Order: sequence, then structure tokens, then C-alpha cells
Amino acid sequence: MSRLEAKKPSICRSDPLTGERARASLAALKGLVTSCYGPAGRLKQLHNGRGGSVVTTSQSAALLAGLPVSHPVLKVLTAAVRNHVACFSDGGLFTAILCCNLVENVQRLGLAPTTVIKLNKHLLSLCTSYLKSEGCACRIPVDFSSTQILLSLVRSILTSKPACMLIAKEVDHISTLILRAFLLTIPENAQEHIILGKSIIVPLKGQRVIDSAVLPGILIEVSGVQLMKILPIKKSDSFKVALFCVSLSGDLSDTGEGTLLVSYGVSLENAALDQLFNLGKQLVSDHVDLVLCQKVIHPSLKQFLRTHHVIAVDRIGVSLMEPLSKVTGTWPIGSLGSISPSSYGSVKDLCIAKFGCKHFFHLIPNKTTICSLLLCNRNDTAWDELKLTCQTALHALQLTIKDPYVLLGGGCTETHLVAYIRHKTRNEPESVLRDERCSQTELQLITEAFCSALESLAGSLEHDGGEILTDSKYGHFWSVQANLPSAVNWPDLPSRCGCGLYSSQEELSWSFLRSARHPFPPQTCLSREATGSADTLTLDCFTAKLSGLQVAVETASLILDLSCVIEDTN
Amino acid sequence: MRAMAAAGSVTVALHVAEVLETIVSGCLGPEGRQVLCTKPTGEVLLSRDGGCLLKALHLEHPIARVMVACVSSHLRKTGDGAKTFIVFLCHLLRGLREITDKEKDSFLFENIQTCGRHWKNCCRWKFISQAFLTFQTQILDYVMDHYLSRHFLSIFSSCTKERTLCRSSLEMLLGAYFCGRVGRNNHNLISQLMCDYVFKCTACESRFEEVLEIVDDCFVELKVGVTGLPVSDSRIIAGLVLQRDFSVYCPADGDIRIVIVTETIQPLFSIPGSEFTLNSEAQFQTSQFWITERTKAIVKHLQNQNVKLLLSTVKQPDLVIYCAGLNGISVVECLSSEELSLIQRVIGLAPFVLPEASSQYELSHTALAKFCKPLILRSKRFVHLGLMSTCSFAPHCIALCGPVQGLVEQHENALHGAFKMLRQAFKDLDLNCVTQTSDQSCTSGPCIYKNSRESNELPKIVNSSIQRSYQDTVVKNKGELAKTQTNLKVCSNLIVPSVKLEQNVLCSTPKVAVTDSYQTDETLRCSSPNKGRIMDDHEPFIESNSANSKPENTRRGISYENLQVTKLARKDSILPLRYKSLETCTSQSYYSSSIPAGCVLPVGGNFEILLHYYLLNYAKKCQQSEQTMVSRIIANAILGVPKILYKSKKGNYSFPQVYVRALQALQTNQPMISNQTGLESVASKYQLLTSVLQCLTNILTVDLVINIKRQPQEVYDQDSEEEL
Repeated sequence: MSRLEAKKPSICRSDPLTGERARASLAALKGLVTSCYGPAGRLKQLHNGRGGSVVTTSQSAALLAGLPVSHPVLKVLTAAVRNHVACFSDGGLFTAILCCNLVENVQRLGLAPTTVIKLNKHLLSLCTSYLKSEGCACRIPVDFSSTQILLSLVRSILTSKPACMLIAKEVDHISTLILRAFLLTIPENAQEHIILGKSIIVPLKGQRVIDSAVLPGILIEVSGVQLMKILPIKKSDSFKVALFCVSLSGDLSDTGEGTLLVSYGVSLENAALDQLFNLGKQLVSDHVDLVLCQKVIHPSLKQFLRTHHVIAVDRIGVSLMEPLSKVTGTWPIGSLGSISPSSYGSVKDLCIAKFGCKHFFHLIPNKTTICSLLLCNRNDTAWDELKLTCQTALHALQLTIKDPYVLLGGGCTETHLVAYIRHKTRNEPESVLRDERCSQTELQLITEAFCSALESLAGSLEHDGGEILTDSKYGHFWSVQANLPSAVNWPDLPSRCGCGLYSSQEELSWSFLRSARHPFPPQTCLSREATGSADTLTLDCFTAKLSGLQVAVETASLILDLSCVIEDTN
Repeated sequence: MRAMAAAGSVTVALHVAEVLETIVSGCLGPEGRQVLCTKPTGEVLLSRDGGCLLKALHLEHPIARVMVACVSSHLRKTGDGAKTFIVFLCHLLRGLREITDKEKDSFLFENIQTCGRHWKNCCRWKFISQAFLTFQTQILDYVMDHYLSRHFLSIFSSCTKERTLCRSSLEMLLGAYFCGRVGRNNHNLISQLMCDYVFKCTACESRFEEVLEIVDDCFVELKVGVTGLPVSDSRIIAGLVLQRDFSVYCPADGDIRIVIVTETIQPLFSIPGSEFTLNSEAQFQTSQFWITERTKAIVKHLQNQNVKLLLSTVKQPDLVIYCAGLNGISVVECLSSEELSLIQRVIGLAPFVLPEASSQYELSHTALAKFCKPLILRSKRFVHLGLMSTCSFAPHCIALCGPVQGLVEQHENALHGAFKMLRQAFKDLDLNCVTQTSDQSCTSGPCIYKNSRESNELPKIVNSSIQRSYQDTVVKNKGELAKTQTNLKVCSNLIVPSVKLEQNVLCSTPKVAVTDSYQTDETLRCSSPNKGRIMDDHEPFIESNSANSKPENTRRGISYENLQVTKLARKDSILPLRYKSLETCTSQSYYSSSIPAGCVLPVGGNFEILLHYYLLNYAKKCQQSEQTMVSRIIANAILGVPKILYKSKKGNYSFPQVYVRALQALQTNQPMISNQTGLESVASKYQLLTSVLQCLTNILTVDLVINIKRQPQEVYDQDSEEEL
């Protein structure tokens, strides 16, 4: 019995950001996400004292999913990041760090939230319109005639997740596999609407990463016992397939709400079994070679089918139904009665394959966009991380096909943007001041806060105490090793910038990232040969990063706009 | 049971109201900020909606609970103004306390016995609340009608018979609404989105009210929330989006025929309440065979009728899905009853009844759709239908994006509230100005007669203003008045139960006296249907307060005698329309008055300053002391809202400057210049005012709060008269 209890009054706190508690928890979250960022990011181990598996990760998706957050403001922040990751898979840490930086920087200024929000919005629109413009120098159009850029994109995603525990050779192998898997999902004769297929990730834990493979078609795992019962497959160029979505176990279907009265001696089980045998006879007479069932097939029917040289596989599960019906071209059969011949499909070949210690039933289609990515890694945690990374990479590739651009990675986009914004607000502030009704000083302060948020985001790629420089021609990101002997002239040291587009052979002048500098116009318009010359670039997904930037600024504005928090304590 | 003496209930109420005000005033107006509410389930909700905040507080204090209850009943009616409600109430209480403080000083020595003082206090509160009620029911309407109405603007682009929406004024109205409802960086976007939505959905311009009604009723089905995308990605989607995936999808071109079913197509062995006896295995098999065949036949039949889409409110068995797929029919299952009713409203389609004999059955219940395809939003699949509408509503959906669910919900609520507000703004609102004074005697039918005779003699309150206008009007008018009086005589003899009349009354009528005044009001307005809407516009936008903008007000159950009255009355009420400009206003107010649909004023405290000015003027002329006092208190309290709105403004835009400029403009009869773009509905402001005054009288009349420790069992009332 439930007890009726009066609701306790809520707790109302005004100005949720000014308190010591809020500042401390925001700083804690910022420290957490910052330390995970980038290829050199530190790993986090999440474990629950009450049990469950230990997760080692540096990805925002896994990290924030397992992290309990108590402060309401942080709840908003983490929810925004998680929703972003659910939409785009990539750029979660980017969004989180930028949002934390913005809130912290603006909080320090102590300006009226109205002005801050207005100007932040303005600066954001400055960024997005620049990133979308043709003259943007940190955006590269994707050339689909070569795999170079796509491969670089996949590689960048793989290397930025150190918890996958891959060595360079393995990174190469996995990134080619991912790209191949993705290319297999693109239909050959594309019309105006491209409907991408699906890559199914098949787990194979405990194997070497190098054993991972991509196979066209579908792999259905079968147990050893089942395998013995499957007959040797005869050679043929085409196999007829029937795919059932109803249960073939002989149980009674829905009989309605009323009562069903069965006379003594009448066995419905036998009647149902008779029906199944009739079905089996029809299948045999239709020359079906393979029967697949989502649910359970009655053992007698299985036996019957085996004696008639029909292969039967049951308990396939609902997740494989759609790809199976696509691969084989069948229509999932929902009837035990007569089956329309048009609902049968076919596959080109069938074979039984063994990978590691697992046996698979491999359906090779004539022509479809479904493939299986057999993913191996040494242990469970690393495999989970690798799987998540592969999904991220596949998603990023899909997004790239929709919007065929990539952004320069490795911190170069951020530093370049900073240079652009600084230059723009310094040289053409009139339009802003007129539209937004604010003073020059306010604009200056908030631009500085925004830019330093982006800069420290780029700076958090460096975890080993190195120095970060930026050049005054392109506005790119250059990092130098720490603890250099002071005698060495450091600007000579960096060989390539963060994204790998430019080398230090050019005559460039460097300065420290967070030092006072004169704003300069970064060179716009990327030259073609520059992108062609560099073979391995660090790249980011354009759509994900753009949306991450917008979400971060919007969420920061939202948090800064809070006047009080009402906590329901019931 | 414990009795808690609530001595000085105004002071207590003021404390409560002040606490609420500090919370609420932070989110008031365009400069307002957001409030974050966390739920015990761990969700977070962002809100600037006053009603939502007050609910989230879970207040315990009895007076606070009364206030919250009043606010929520006001919100149910209008969907707007919760924050202003609290601020205004707080200022009223403050004004009351100031007065009582003064009085206390002078009477301090007379009331030494505390008990006696308490009772005296209660009596005085009752007296004051009575005065407030009188004000609300009579003076307010009078002032609104006689003075404020000349400042009203109309949202309709032309004052012809056909009301057409003017895009720019709608934008201004919505802009001002969303300024107070959603975050500062999004309100432009959301109000633009809503404006586009209204115009896209309105297939026929003159029937926008119908569209607003459908959207308001079915808003939940017409929006799709998408989290994880920036707010700027929100957009309008043409057609209807059902928040589920196809069970079977068969691509089809051209027009798509739709059928709705509400039961499973596959016959079952037994229906509820019946018994099916199986005697042999063969019987079982034949019946199963029959079921299969029959299902196939029905689906085949649908295919023959060229049906391409089956919408089902229930889950269909696998067999039906299979057959539908083979026959090229797409299936959507498990529609909610709300979705079904929306679809039915849009395409006017009745559910398909399964035929007894499937062979010879002509399908009459079908509708057409332009397209029917899956829609992917944030990697979730939805059903996207392009229904061909048979009513004035062209179906469109809003996809609202936001980084967090709480923000999406805030935008959803704000949009829904905006539709409610628009519906209210496009309704006429009746004012009762027929009775002018002496509410005490006005309790029964004959009294109206007496009252109206009094009105001929012109009672004190209206004396100064109306008499003047009388001198200006033509002599003919007096003759008309005499006729009216005879009409009223007839009217008062009628036995019309007041209960019936109340159904026609739009505003709430808390006192018998008011209902009676409506009686005359209503009877007279019966004459209007034939006249249609005649609006005489001399100045563009400024509409004289015409009584005739309410043609749909035909009354049920008009008795025979009544019809006679109507005939007589018709002559009279056409007459005033020949007069022009302000004279029309004064003479018309005898018949009936209302705030016409779509009346607006610029935002930024315009309404408040106007009302303040005219109330003070009124108070100066008024002879009765308590009416003067009440008018003064209200006039001063109402300025509290613009004071908060202008708090952050400096220099020339600060509140005292704006106020002085506005008063100067009013005194010299010049138009008031507002430096803000945006409009707000007069009707909603008026309703807010009346709701606050009712709440105040509610609070003032309570003299004792009884705290009960038992579990709440039944609704208990706080009337303590019998207890003591």
C-alpha cells in the first residue's frame, strides 16, 4: 500500500553560478573533460563499488553516461553534451570543454547577462557564417575520387581515442576496414536520394586487432551444436531463402478475449503441428534452400526440413531482421498458411566460416549495401571503446557524405577562428555596436572571453606540459615539447602544425598562444596544392563540429541566463 | 485541529506575495532571466513561465496556496500573465498596508482591547474587499470602455467585415509575448517560427480562428521535439508527422488513399463475452484457414479499392502486416486517440467498418494524401503524411530543436501558451457598463428597471462625463433613450432564469447584481445578429468601440415576448451607428460594450500608464470616499509592472522619464509615443486585472486560517464563520 505524503516545499536558490559550490563543481567537470581531450588525453576509469564492469575510457559518450552529476547547472551541461553526442557521435568533449570555458570566462567578467548573451550569439554567428563561407581557410572540400581525405578523417578519430589501445599499424588496419565497410554501404547505382546501407559490427573479443575484417553480407553466429546439425552445403549459384517473422514453434496465436473451450481428446498441439508440417511441405515443394526464423522453429519441423535438405536457422532476433530482408530480398513472412511465392528471396552463396573460436553462418548476397565488420580487440573494455569509436567514425563518414567538407583538426580550426574573430571585431566593430546596442569596451571584453575560451580549448590538446604557439600568417596551432634547453631558439622547432597542413619551412613568425598580440588577418582561401601535398592530415567532421560549437555557445548562454534554481526535494 | 489566528492578514499576505515577487520578477519582461527547475526524477526543466515556477515551488503557506490556485485558474483561462499577476497583487497589498498603517496611528488609542481590534480589522477588511469587488465589476469596465478604448489599436489589417490578419502586427504581438517567455537569444527565432506557422497553416485567410482552435487543441500532436541540435535548426515541416515508424512501408507515388481502422482486421477466435467450442482438430484447422482467407480477402479488397495506407489505432497481427506488405499497402499501427482525432479533423474521415461480406462493399471512407514517407529526425524514424485537408487548417508540424530536453519543453510550452493567448485575443470580451451605481439594491428583476430609470437621471459617478456628452448629442438621442427605457421595462418583466443567461456571459460574474446587469445587456444584444459587423473607422487602426462586433451571440431559449423586444431594440441599436467618433462610444455604452476582438496596445507599460492616468482622474471626480481610495490604490499598484520592466533602463528610457512623457502626452491629447516595438492584447490585460482583484478579495475576506493535521479527505473550505 502506498502512503500518501504531503509534498515537501522545494528549495529555491538565486544566482546559481556565483556560489562557491557551483564554481568548484564546474571546475571539477572542466578538469575532467579537459584531461581526456585529444590523442594524448588521459584515460578515466569508471567503476561502481557495488559491482558491474569497470570502464576505461576517454570518450564523452561513455564518460558522461556513467558519471552521476548532482549540481543542477552541470546537469544541464552534461545533458546538452550527451544529446549532442547522440545526434552526431563526435565532438562531445569539444562541446563540453568549450561550454565550461565560456561559462567560466564570462562569469569572471561580471557583465550583465543580457549583453553577454547578445554578443556571444553575435560572435557565434560570425563563426558559423565564416565556417560555412567559401573563403574559409580551415575547411577542406572532400574529394571523393580519392580516399585520402576520408582516410585521414577516420584516422584522426581513431587516434583521438587512446583508450582503444591501438598501435600505429593497427590504426592503419582499422581505418582502412572502416572506410571499406562504409564504402560497401553506398549503393552502386545511386539516384538522387542515396539510401545508405548498414554496417553491422560483429563482436569477436580476445583476438588480435589485426584479425578484424570486413565481409559483404551478413554473419549469423551459430553454436557448435547447431553447426553439427547443419548439412554440408551443396554447391549452387543461387539459394532460395524464406524469412519468417512469426514463431514456428507451434504455439497458438492470439485467440481473442473470449473463452476457448476445447473438448476432451482434442489436441490443439497436434493440430498446430499438422499445420507446421503442411507449411514445411509447401516450403519443400517451392524448393526453398534456407529457412530463417526470427523466433523459434519447432524441433519436429526442423527435423522434417533437414530430411528434405533444407537448412533451417532460428532465433535470429529482431535486430537482424531488417538487414536480412534487405540482403535476401525477402518479405518477412507473417503467415502459417499459404505463402505467396513473391515473398521468397535469394542469396548468392552460403558458407560456414570460423573466426577465432566462433562459428558463423555467412550469407553472401548478390548485390546489397549490407556488410559485416568483424571487430577484434584484446579485452572487453578496449573492445567496447573500439566499437564506440568505429560507430563514431562510420557516423562521421555518413555526415561527411551529406555535407562534403571536413575541418582542420589538431587545434588549427580553433586558433584560426580566434584570429579571424579578433581581427573582425577589432576592424569592423561598428555594425555590432549599432545592432546590439553595447559599448566598445563590452564588445572587447566579451570577444576576449570568447576567444580565450576557444584558445584554451585548443590548448587542452597538450597534456605534457608543452608550449603552444601560433603563427601570424595562417593562425594555426603549433606545439613545442616541454623542458627544452633554454639555449635553443624554440621557434625553429615545430616541424608541422597541429593539422599537418603547413610545415615550418615557410618563413613564419610565432608567438605564444595565450599572449597579448596584435590582431592580424589570417590568410583566407585555402590553396588546392596545400591540401594535396600533405599526405596525412588531422581532420574533424564538419557537421559535428559546427553543431558542437553552436550547442556549446547556446548552452553556455542558457546557463549564464539562470536567475535561480528551484530544486524539488521530494 | 488548530486554529491559527491570522491577525493582520494583509501583512501576512504581503510577506508571502513579496517572496513570490522576488522569484517571479527575475523572469519578468524582456530582460527577465531563466529559472532552472529540477524534478525528483532528476530531469531538469528550464522555465520563465510564472505558472510553472509557482507550481514547482510546492508552497506550504496557506495564503500562498490560495494565490497559486488563483494564478493557475487564471492561466487555464488565458495562458498568460502569471508573473504580472503576482507583481500586481504584491503592489496592491503594499498599497493597502500603507493605508492601514496610517489609520492605525490615528486609531491607536481607541482600540486598546486586542480582541476587539481583531474583529474590527476583519470587518474593515470585509468592507474594503467589498469595495474592490464593486470596483472590479463596475468602475473598471466603465473606465475601460469610456476612456481607454479610444487608445486601442486593432490587430486586423482592415476594419472591414472580413477580419484579416496583418502579418506585421501579429509578429509584434508574438514578439512581445515570447520576450517574456523564452530565453533572450531565442525569442526572435521562436516568434518568427510561430508567425510563419500560423500563416502556413491558414489555408483560408478569413478563417484563422478555426486554425488557432485546432492548433491549440492538438498542439501536442503537431510538434516534434528534437534534442541535441542547436535551437536555430528548428523548422516547420509541411504535413503531419506521426511519432512512430511504419510497420510496413511500401513506397508509392501519386495520391495516396488512406483508410483508418480501429480494430484488428484479422478476425479472432472469440470475442469478449463469448465462448468458442472446439470439438475436433479439423474444426480448429478449418477455422484457422477461414481466418487466414478472410484476412487476405479484406486486405485484397482494400488493395482493389486502391488503398495505399492503413492507419490503425490498434496493433495488427503479423498476418495482416504480411498481407498488407504483399499488397503494397503501408501500415502505421498504434495511433493514439489524440492523433486519430486530429487526422479526422483534418481530413474528415470516419474509421473503416469491417464489412460483413467482403466481396460487394464499396469503400466510402477514404481520404487522400499527397505523400506518405518516412522522415528521419535525429536518426529516429517518423511517419510523414501530406494529408489533403478538407478544412481551413493546412497541416504543418513544428520541429523544435534544442540542446537539452528542458529547453525544448520550454519552447513547446511557450508556443502552446501563445496559441492560447491568440485565441483569447481574437475573442470579443464583454464589459458590463449598463449598471452604473448602487449595487446594493440591484438584486432582482424589477430593480433593473429601476436602475435604468436611474440611468436616465444620470447618477453621480458618471454625471460629469456623460452629461457633457448628452449636451453634445442630438436631441434625437434622448428620444431613443426613452425608447430604450421602455424596452428595458419589457425586459424586466420577462421571467428569464438568470442561470441560462450566465451561459452567454464570457466574463465570470461573482455577484448576483452583475448577472442582472448582464440580463439587460444580453437581451439588448440579441438585436445585433442582423447587423453584421459595422466598424466605422476614421483613423486607421483606431477602432471605436463598437458593440456590434459580436454577431455569434444569439441566445438560446428566447421567449416569445423577448422576440418582440428584439424587434424594438433593433431599431434603437442601429441608430447610434450613424453617429460618428466619440459620441458613438458614449451613447453605445448604454446598449452594451465590449472589448472587440483583436484589440491591442503597444508593450512597455502602455496599458498600465493609461489605466493609472484615467483611474486617478476618475478618483478625483468620484465623491464616494472608499471608491476614491480603491481607485487610487489600484492606480498606483498597477505601475509596479512597468517599474520592473524599466528597471535596467537608464537616462531617457528610465521609468520616471517615460511616465512623465506619457502623462504629458495624455494631458495634451497627443498620441503616446512608445519606444518599443511589440503589442499586447488588451483583453488579456483586462482579464488579468479582474483575476487579481478577485484573488485579492478572496484573501482579504479570510479572517482565520485553520490548520488541519489530518490527511486530506474531502475538499474543505476555510470558512470559519460557523466554527466560532
